[in-house]
Amino acid sequence: MADPQLKLRRGFTLGVRHLVYAVIAFIFVLPLWWAIVSSLRPNTEVFADIFPFTVNALLPSPLSFEAYAGVFERGFGLIIANTMFVAIVTMIGGMIVNGAAGFAFAVFDFKGKKIILTLIIISFMLPFEAIALPLYTVTLQLGWLDHVAALIVPSIANGLAVFLFYQFFSQVPKDYLEAARLEGVSWFNILLRIYVPLSIPTCISAGLLLFVFQWEAFLWPLLAMPSQQFKVIQVGMAAFQQQYQTIWNQLFAVSVITALIPIALLLPLQRYYVQGLAGAGIKG
Amino acid sequence: MVRSKTPLFLLAVLLAPALVGLVVFRLYPIALAVSDSFFNMLRGNQVFVGLDNYVALFTDSAFWKSLQVTLWFNLLINPIQIALALGLALLYVQKFKGVGFYRVLFLIPIGVSLPTAVIIWRIMLSPDGLANGVLNIAGIPGQPWLTSESLALYSIIAIATWKGISYWMIFIIGGLQNISPEIYDAARVDGIKPWQRLVFITVPLLRPTLLFVLVADVSINFLLFAPIFMLTQGGPADSTNVLMYEAFKSGFIFGDMGRAMAIIVVVVVILLLIVGLQFRLLAGKPEGK
Repeated sequence: MADPQLKLRRGFTLGVRHLVYAVIAFIFVLPLWWAIVSSLRPNTEVFADIFPFTVNALLPSPLSFEAYAGVFERGFGLIIANTMFVAIVTMIGGMIVNGAAGFAFAVFDFKGKKIILTLIIISFMLPFEAIALPLYTVTLQLGWLDHVAALIVPSIANGLAVFLFYQFFSQVPKDYLEAARLEGVSWFNILLRIYVPLSIPTCISAGLLLFVFQWEAFLWPLLAMPSQQFKVIQVGMAAFQQQYQTIWNQLFAVSVITALIPIALLLPLQRYYVQGLAGAGIKG
Repeated sequence: MVRSKTPLFLLAVLLAPALVGLVVFRLYPIALAVSDSFFNMLRGNQVFVGLDNYVALFTDSAFWKSLQVTLWFNLLINPIQIALALGLALLYVQKFKGVGFYRVLFLIPIGVSLPTAVIIWRIMLSPDGLANGVLNIAGIPGQPWLTSESLALYSIIAIATWKGISYWMIFIIGGLQNISPEIYDAARVDGIKPWQRLVFITVPLLRPTLLFVLVADVSINFLLFAPIFMLTQGGPADSTNVLMYEAFKSGFIFGDMGRAMAIIVVVVVILLLIVGLQFRLLAGKPEGK
């Protein structure tokens, strides 16, 4: 340890490492950085300092918040609130519905359980896009077109979330349950008092998956809401882009807001989100 | 299992909402797609036409061109995404002072949705945008990234890849953390070089994870829609007209739901064949187990 040459070499290696990581991270995050910087400039200055390119292009100068003010004047506040509503209702409904099913699969034995579970696992391997077009016909048959229910109800039952809860509840020792049953505690109370409190981390994982799924939904709200009276963020943003291609700084401001909300949620709860996703990978 | 009797009523109450939801909104639409592909709308009436939609599809050069674009697109984007995600995951799991900062940066694009990525990149790739500005430093003339027949598909690949890498990285990190460090210690003692370690130890041990990521990634990219809808509408000259967009166009622009459903059925069947093939070729038990 005391060898100064070794110390120097270690310091050098660390420096090189930091350089490599910094360059890769810079390239990786550059589009988002440029979006943030440009959203903080007046619209006429978005393409300044690019030809010829100077470092100034990556700094918010001159600084202006007009884009953010403009975005909210265009009603994006309401669109964000709409999307929040859809995402939160789906999240809460999904935790209850999928949690209940996961509990039933983990605790009870019944005919056809294996087959149903396999079908559920297959159901989440098929991406939503594959069924979006026929789901449009289903929505038409139900008379839900242009109704908020069309955005929320089909997304609540989620095979991945059922699977996550099933996996978690299977690991809970059955002794608790047996003891409680012998004491004469009702099933409802067992679920509420023992299983729900234990499953908080799984609830967060499943909740995040459902929230992000709704926040990022694009094709489905595009099809299910043809009149676009109830707008959600991804579709609202795409429509804004098609209509006003050159209000760059506001387009960037909307993009930044749309990205920052899930990022603000995912970074602190990263561990749960990763666990949720990893749960999908484990069964492979 | 539980010794006390299974309360059937409770079981039904617990299972019904999820199962009804999955049947009505997942299984039924699949059945509906198949059955609707045998019908056509004629003056507001659904008429049974048998295999006509499929026959029309298979004799339509637009369909074959679209299939070709879809396959080429997938042949490129999936290996690129997985290789880059693996590289980023390997960087992510290294341990040294200050790595936490980079880890956060690597994770940030997870929150970026595909439409958001599209909007940002469209402006970046515009003629006066950042991409051409950076090229200009090296003296390379600006490129028509999104409006040229030869570049548009590759620009979409770049956008979707940038958005996808950190998501797939998460799965691979999970797989990497399952590899016991003793194997690496043994390899170090045996004097194995880092690249040998990657090719002969890490990748084989990661095989189940990589297979999962490959299957899930192919499923998503095979049905990719948002960037094509928002950026190119299948153009220029159909160079980005993937099957998913062709189906959307048939159903929602030309009002031909029969053709749209037939395309969806064909896409899903091809996807299942590819996934089946991937399992056959790659799922073997890892050596030494």
